[in-house]
Amino acid sequence: MNLDWLHAFLISGLFSVVVIVGLGLLLHLQLGLTRIANFGVVGFFGIGMYSFGVLFTKVDWPFGDLWAFLISLAFGTLVAGIAGLLIGWLIADLDEDGVLVGTLGFATAVFILATTEQDLTGGALGLGGLKFPYDIGSVKANEFLWLVIVSIVVALILLYVQRIHRTPYGRLLIAIGANEPLARSLGKATFRNKIWLFAVGSAGMGLIGALFGVMKRFLSPESLGIDVTLAAMVALVIGGTARVWGAVVGGFLVIGFFDIVVQSYLPLPKEWYGQAIPNLKQIVFGGVLIMVLLFRPLGILGDMRRDKLMRRVHGE
Amino acid sequence: MDLDFFSKALVIGLTEHAPLVLAAIGFSLLYRLTGLINVAYSETITLGAYFGMWLNTTFNLNFYAVLLPAGLMAGLVSVGTYFAIFRPAKRRNVGNLELIIISFGLSILLRHALQFVFGYPVRFFDVPPPHTIFVLGVGVGTFRLLAVASVAVLALALYWFIQRSSFGLQIRALASDEDLAQASGIRPLFVTVLIWFIAGIAGGMAGAFYGVGSSVAPLLGWRQFLFIFLVVVVGGRKGLGGVIVTGVLTGIGLAAMTLQFGQVLYAQLALIVAFVVLLKWRSKRTAETVKV
Amino acid sequence: MVSETQTATLTRPQIHVQNAVKSFNGRVVVKIDDLVLGDQPIEGLIGPNGAGKTTLMRMIMHSTSLDTGTISFRNESVGDVVLSDLPTHWMAPHGVVKSNQVIMDFDKLTILDSMLLSVSQAKYEHPHRIFDEKTVYNSSIEHIHEYMEFFELGDPYRFAGSAGEKKLLDIIRCLLLQPRFLLLDEPTAGLPEEVTSKVVEIVRELATAGTAIVIVEHDLNVIWNLCDEVHFMAEGSVVLHGSPEEIRQHKTVVEKYLGEGHV
Repeated sequence: MNLDWLHAFLISGLFSVVVIVGLGLLLHLQLGLTRIANFGVVGFFGIGMYSFGVLFTKVDWPFGDLWAFLISLAFGTLVAGIAGLLIGWLIADLDEDGVLVGTLGFATAVFILATTEQDLTGGALGLGGLKFPYDIGSVKANEFLWLVIVSIVVALILLYVQRIHRTPYGRLLIAIGANEPLARSLGKATFRNKIWLFAVGSAGMGLIGALFGVMKRFLSPESLGIDVTLAAMVALVIGGTARVWGAVVGGFLVIGFFDIVVQSYLPLPKEWYGQAIPNLKQIVFGGVLIMVLLFRPLGILGDMRRDKLMRRVHGE
Repeated sequence: MDLDFFSKALVIGLTEHAPLVLAAIGFSLLYRLTGLINVAYSETITLGAYFGMWLNTTFNLNFYAVLLPAGLMAGLVSVGTYFAIFRPAKRRNVGNLELIIISFGLSILLRHALQFVFGYPVRFFDVPPPHTIFVLGVGVGTFRLLAVASVAVLALALYWFIQRSSFGLQIRALASDEDLAQASGIRPLFVTVLIWFIAGIAGGMAGAFYGVGSSVAPLLGWRQFLFIFLVVVVGGRKGLGGVIVTGVLTGIGLAAMTLQFGQVLYAQLALIVAFVVLLKWRSKRTAETVKV
Repeated sequence: MVSETQTATLTRPQIHVQNAVKSFNGRVVVKIDDLVLGDQPIEGLIGPNGAGKTTLMRMIMHSTSLDTGTISFRNESVGDVVLSDLPTHWMAPHGVVKSNQVIMDFDKLTILDSMLLSVSQAKYEHPHRIFDEKTVYNSSIEHIHEYMEFFELGDPYRFAGSAGEKKLLDIIRCLLLQPRFLLLDEPTAGLPEEVTSKVVEIVRELATAGTAIVIVEHDLNVIWNLCDEVHFMAEGSVVLHGSPEEIRQHKTVVEKYLGEGHV
């Protein structure tokens, strides 16, 4: 495959956009529909990444790489899902402060375990030995193929989220977000639904984490910082928390701007890229989050339009 | 485990984690009286450390001289964030959930602005090593003893201020019913600013103590935030007294577990798990869905 | 409008409140030793403000917990169910449903959304059920349309506008749950007169079909017209029961609540 036209930076830039869009889409189900502020996105992302990585590298697999890879991937997703079930159960009937403590605490716990359990995770030094489940030639070609695969996964997540808006389940999630006590009085088991929502969303975040780890080929606790949660939240909030396409629009706009345009196309002095730009990026993220929520709380796309959507869905 | 272990845990817990109690007092003031979960409070703490370090190294002042000014400066910034962001947000009827996210954004913004201004290398206070005094056979630096004293003084002062003084009456009235308070001649703006200022001072001083105890870095406050928040959420229901008691117990618990496990991260992990389970257990006991 | 299954019911379900006490901050708000609701098809619950009517309703729904005592649901088909041991969301599946005194709505849901939410069964509401909208829609749309037309709601694909419309929607959501025991907390407050009479009509129809109905209402004309029995509540207890005629002529009620010349 001739990939000369493709800048290596463009692959990694697009990859981070796609990953953040995926996380933002799942966050949309929790924050946008059900109005649960999950501040522990990176925890679920991380537990999926490490569960996958540890199983894949530490086990002496008796069969081929591809099967070992897929089993590990399923394992990472499952572990993240179970973690989501647990955290969902912990926070389902707590107030906003409890949700913040629970999710933030979980993310911190994952970070701590990744650092302390050196035998498994390599601790602060990190865990190497991850690789793509294929080899089609150059590093660039392999990375490009991985970008395509992950994009397909995220596109499937997008389709799923889009479907959710068109189902009784999605309607229930919106109802819980708008008025949980009222939903309960109509016989809806809101706690149970929140728990399962967390399980599914977290499993997805874990899967994305594992896919992310493969691209990095090296796992370290440094990639478990709050900036992952922040990026997903910024993408979603800017695009529109209540809209399916919110995370997509926001992700390409904001993450795309920094990780693609600034990274590769602006004629900036080399020494800026080390510290100044990443710092500036976080400053802008923080500022944008404040500005959008103050002046246009529903983001670029605005509020969801159930009236139009339902008319279309019911074919009227 | 022997007596030595307990006295060690007690002394280290009380002295090393005194800033935690101080910060928790400030955070709970904001949380209980204005209803705001202010994630950016972690940067109020960090700013206190930076202001202290800056005053200390620029003007060659000793630590005792910079402590209060650092707190006051952090208090001013705290008030500044209220006017710049949280007051406009309240006026625009921004929801609680959005307010938390806004404060999260502010936290990130301030943290990285600090990193931008001060650069990467970790900074230090330029102070002579503190004298060591032996308490129950455990050596304790004078700065840490000062921290304990400040916590005690500030806690008492705040308790008196809120429970006894006329300002305190206004503050409590405002917290319980804003409209009623306004109708009865209380100046909500003045009182609210006062709360933000006091909370900022407490946070800033806590930051200065954290900074002089180890080093000054942009993540200083954020590293403590979860624990401060846990203390406030778990202890805050019983008022300021509950926060102080929970804070002190948390400090001792952290010290004891650190001694036991030999690793501070395990102690933190155990603490997070214990507190979240406690919250869950409590919510099960008082399960009552209001409204409807 | 009223479904077949309800018409088949012979005995009316009852709610039995025993030794139920609720206090807020040390002040006793509700204290009922023994009360049976549902003896008559339509019962009214009246009393001065602060008598504890709404709190009692919420205790029945278990959206307020009881300090002591039990509330149980007597029902021929499933036997006795202790409501005060169950979480709120189990009330509706047992057929115990309450409309709200204050205006309650799901801001982001359209009128039709709101109704579909009400009728949708729990088995369709799972993360993996992503192709079930049509099933829910097709199975309930006729029923929904009956209500839409009866109340002349017009376009279902819009958001409830006025306070009155939201209040009506709240009641319709309850009706769609096909209640066996319906509690209405001030159903006509804020409704236009012609809508009120339609609500009254439906309530009568439901009662004939076998649903037990309890109404809390300040508009006493509704109570006198509609109810077969009236409970008078004061200071947390039900102090009198009787037919509307008996109650409106009773000395205590007149003194405490109605005032002279109100009757």
